[in-house]
Amino acid sequence: MASSSSASGSGSVVTERRGIPGAQFVEDVHTYLTDSGLDVGSALAFLQERLQQYKLVEMKLLAQQRDLQAKIPDIEKCLDIVATLQAKKGTGEELIADFEVSEGIYSRARIEETDCVCLWLGANVMLEYSLDEATSLLQKNLDNARASLEVLIADLQFLRDQVTITQVTIARVYNWDVHQRRIQQAATATATAQN
Amino acid sequence: MQEQGEGSETEVTWEDQQNINKFGRLNNRFHELDDDIKIAKETDDNLEDASNELILTDEEVVRFQIGEVFAHVPKDEVESKIEQMKQVTTQKLEKLEEKESVLAQMAELKKILYGKFKDSINLEDD
Repeated sequence: MASSSSASGSGSVVTERRGIPGAQFVEDVHTYLTDSGLDVGSALAFLQERLQQYKLVEMKLLAQQRDLQAKIPDIEKCLDIVATLQAKKGTGEELIADFEVSEGIYSRARIEETDCVCLWLGANVMLEYSLDEATSLLQKNLDNARASLEVLIADLQFLRDQVTITQVTIARVYNWDVHQRRIQQAATATATAQN
Repeated sequence: MQEQGEGSETEVTWEDQQNINKFGRLNNRFHELDDDIKIAKETDDNLEDASNELILTDEEVVRFQIGEVFAHVPKDEVESKIEQMKQVTTQKLEKLEEKESVLAQMAELKKILYGKFKDSINLEDD
């Protein structure tokens, strides 16, 4: 068995990120078990539990990611419409549009030249904005959503790394245990044979 | 005779762990890119169909979808809008060529990891 490395220190490990605990990399299984005072069974149980916790957090983050990925095209569509209204402004023409009144039923609307739009802010609140204000508000929301998505994706990557480290550690502890048992069996067999 | 096989004692160094992590991340990225490419190709096909229909139609005003409503837009404007959208999709497809470099990196890592761990590691897609 390879000798345990002295004073290894996995120096480049991030201990946690935004509430997600980092998985400790195990340089040597034997040292890890002696240092933590755990036997193989308890160590495996602890690692399995950690894995479950990671999985839960991953579910949560994936749900948040799906929400954001649905929100972004919505904001882009709103920006499109505001831009169209703005383009129509100088021309004196009306915008004629067909819209859905109910499923499968459409009606025609005539939208005259206008300087303002109403934006739905959520929580049963709708505010009137000038075209320029609406564009900048929508753009700001879009930028925020995109930035949040990037942070979320980085969180997920960190989380997946921790999951991989934990899975590898579980496999190594298990293999180490199997190896130890084999050595013991061989030692017992030799001792019996010698007697 | 001591049995080999399970319980191999190949040491896993921090560098190995980082390679394994990197492989995992690349594999995820690869699947994401695959999905994105599929969606982009579908959009491209739809735009192609739309512009073909446009050539065949003899109406002057076309209902063009903006957001949730269908605005009445003159045919020429719709043509140029579709052209613009096609360009955006083509650019997106070009960026997704990153998939090739991801595959290459994954092949490199596979060589390294299989070289060290041989049977003890499985890097294939189930």
